[in-house]
Amino acid sequence: MSESAAAPVNDIALSIEKVVRTFGTARAVDNVSLEVRRGEFVTLLGPSGCGKTTLLNLIAGFLTPESGEIFVDGAPISGLSAFERNIGVVFQNYALFPHMSVAENVAFGLKMRKVTRPEIARRVQEALEMVRLPQMGERRPRQLSGGQQQRIALARALVIRPQLILLDEPFSAIDKNLRAEMQVELKTIQRQVGITTIFITHDQSEALSMSDRIAVMAQGQVQQFSEPIDLYRRPANSFVASFIGEINRLACTRRIEGDRAVLECGPVQVRVPTAQAPAGAATESMLYLRPEALRAVPAGSAEANLGTGQVQAQVYQGTHVDLIVQADNGWLLRLREPGFAALDRWPVGARLAIHADLAEACVY
Amino acid sequence: MTMADRIAKPAFIALVAVALAFVTLPSVVVVIVAFGEKSIMMFPPDAWSLRWFERALTYPDFRKGMVNGLYVSAWASLLSVAVGTLAAYAIDRFAFKGRALLEAILLSPLVIPHFTLGVGLLLLASTFGLARGYSVVVLCHLILVVPFVMRSVYVSLKNIDPMLERAAASLGAPPLTVFLRIHLPLLAPGLAGGWLFAFILSFNEFTATLFVTNNTTQTLPVAMYNYVREYADPTMAALSALLILATALFLIIANRFLGLDRILSIESHR
Amino acid sequence: MNDTARPTLLPWFIAPAALVAMLLIAALAMLFQYSFREHLPGTLEVGGVTLENFADLGKWLYLRVFFDTLTISAWTALCSLLLGYPLALALVRCRSRSLKAAILIAVIIPMFTGDIVRTYSWLIVLGTRGFINGTLLGLGVIERPFALLFTQTAVIAALVQYSLPVIVVILAAAISHINTDYEKAAESLGAGPLAVLWKVTLPLSMPGILSGTVTIFAWTMSAFATPQLVGGGKVNMVSNMVYHLGFASFNFPFAATLSMVSLLLIMAVLGLLGLCLKRLERKGFTG
Repeated sequence: MSESAAAPVNDIALSIEKVVRTFGTARAVDNVSLEVRRGEFVTLLGPSGCGKTTLLNLIAGFLTPESGEIFVDGAPISGLSAFERNIGVVFQNYALFPHMSVAENVAFGLKMRKVTRPEIARRVQEALEMVRLPQMGERRPRQLSGGQQQRIALARALVIRPQLILLDEPFSAIDKNLRAEMQVELKTIQRQVGITTIFITHDQSEALSMSDRIAVMAQGQVQQFSEPIDLYRRPANSFVASFIGEINRLACTRRIEGDRAVLECGPVQVRVPTAQAPAGAATESMLYLRPEALRAVPAGSAEANLGTGQVQAQVYQGTHVDLIVQADNGWLLRLREPGFAALDRWPVGARLAIHADLAEACVY
Repeated sequence: MTMADRIAKPAFIALVAVALAFVTLPSVVVVIVAFGEKSIMMFPPDAWSLRWFERALTYPDFRKGMVNGLYVSAWASLLSVAVGTLAAYAIDRFAFKGRALLEAILLSPLVIPHFTLGVGLLLLASTFGLARGYSVVVLCHLILVVPFVMRSVYVSLKNIDPMLERAAASLGAPPLTVFLRIHLPLLAPGLAGGWLFAFILSFNEFTATLFVTNNTTQTLPVAMYNYVREYADPTMAALSALLILATALFLIIANRFLGLDRILSIESHR
Repeated sequence: MNDTARPTLLPWFIAPAALVAMLLIAALAMLFQYSFREHLPGTLEVGGVTLENFADLGKWLYLRVFFDTLTISAWTALCSLLLGYPLALALVRCRSRSLKAAILIAVIIPMFTGDIVRTYSWLIVLGTRGFINGTLLGLGVIERPFALLFTQTAVIAALVQYSLPVIVVILAAAISHINTDYEKAAESLGAGPLAVLWKVTLPLSMPGILSGTVTIFAWTMSAFATPQLVGGGKVNMVSNMVYHLGFASFNFPFAATLSMVSLLLIMAVLGLLGLCLKRLERKGFTG
């Protein structure tokens, strides 16, 4: 219990309050508010132009907000220039100083903080060992591979012991095969050091795999800020539902019957608790279901609750088979069957019925 | 392919060859005539000698002109690199009141006739009693050469990754440190090339210099002009040959540092 | 650019350049001021304010000099374009780096060897015992040497050599910005090399052509050494007149007037160029 007395009273490492930033007539960051806990790995996820990079630049100090405030460890930082903040940044194309050696690059931030020479040497070596490149000190950046350069960039940002660290799509320039490895390494180091991390990417699988929480952004606003699994299973709106993973969007009409919403399209009728459907009088709705929430069952089976259809195509993906089904009521569905049994069980042209796990359904 | 298309490529090569010949012919002729023996210039020379080279290198006016030229050009090029680099850096990266105007004025010598500038500076100098001393000449060359230095700095700046500055700032470097530790070292090769350009241009400048110099301060081109008006022997040819060679050498070296095609932005986007 | 706060040392970066700029303005202001002053013959003193200098501009003697200057500049610009375009094309499309560098250096050297060396070499080429006459005499083609020097043609030829580096650079920059995909598309649709040149490359390099030609025109108007030596007093451009007025007659006020008018003419021509280029851009010529 004495430990919590020593820990900061406020557990929030970064607080963004109603920040607005415009370029010309467009609001790149539109009244965004976020709170990030100490040691948390938060990802800003969204398509290009959604405002995630602008938000990063605002936190780092490369841009100033027009209104709103940003707090780091409780202290407002909008009045501070970038070089006065204690925030580490890792850039997409590494931004290692080409005219300095690797060791000099990593030492740069320490030199700026007037750390003594022997201390600099010690901490630089420590940082290089942390990213598993202890022998590279005397090399020049251009002699290193992309992956190695990115690890040095990380070392450089971490060695100054910043209050938080920002990573701007750090792996998008890295080979796909290397990327997975580097993601794991980053996560390991981050947990080890315990540093609050803001990560930016447009790659949703990267976000899902690494983050404690994800803020999905579109058009300058945060659409949803929650844990990956909530994002996936309980998307807050149709944008988030469509952006994360694959999903079936099924047009239907909606009416309320007691505590159930009835969704109809042609002969198909499903009932979901009203909690899963939006309020309001609109009758045109979209039913959202993940491919893995749908299963193929024989036509006429008692389990079928989403109508019947015919297989148009099979998409084999190694771990699963997607069946593209043209439903009789007009829907085009993607069903996901694990393994490869479906390849023989449900060939192209086969007629089947569909079972949906309605607990996973979202309606907008 | 039509008949015209068939001869298009060879005709093009021929045209380019003619154009190149046109450009280089005078220099080649000068070099050949410089080796002539007789004291009248003739082409081709009927006898060969090195004596005009000797005369060119020992003629007192040329020697004085050379010394003056080196002095003026050294000062003008060094000052222009200092002034031009600082100005170009500030103009390129920061917004301040009067920025566009300052840039326009500094780059204007590219379009102002050198004789106009020469007359103007001459009048200015005589009004303030500095008529035709070394400082007027240095200042004149400084004004003329700064645009070239600024251009080469702009080009060099464009080739520096803009994220480097942000990286340095995120690590705690204030703007001055960014300039001294990040940009200046990376600009150094470009500056070296710019300095060489400035030196060559200043050393060979004639028109404005004619207006602002007198017998004491005259640079080599002006001395050569005065010589040509009196004598018609191949001494000038010899001196010219030497200067052409020196200039070519300097340009090849400057090309290594800065890449002439980049400063003149001729890059093929393939 | 970031929202970087202006560093406190910024004034130090700008101050030296500002001084240089002020010097330049002061020199031009002197010219302006002098052009309104009366010339006192035989002395270097100047009299009171007068508009006489501007009235003198109307005299045929001086109008003729302006006219000659414009004519020479126009011809120089045109010939530079005709010779410069193939050179620029070769420079950009050439695949060999060393050949490219060689062409570039060969073309640029005249720009850097200085007015005097370059102009002087034309005296040797065009003189009565020079290259052209010497070769033709030697080959027995002619019996007596031509008088090639001191003619407008000679001046134009020498000026073209001076201008080639500048126009080649401008044209090469314009050509290099043309996406080669356009030419490949034309080829794939059946256009031979001449058709590609005429229908794709030339039109798309029009801004460069316009810019280069007008730049040479404006630039040639300020030429001095070439008409001075190659013209030998018989061919006079404005610059030579200014020199003569200043150093032979000590009529600096009128020299100042001529200088200023030249400058204004050049600015006007370049300003017009800027407008034309903007119109071309709107019509989509920026390949």
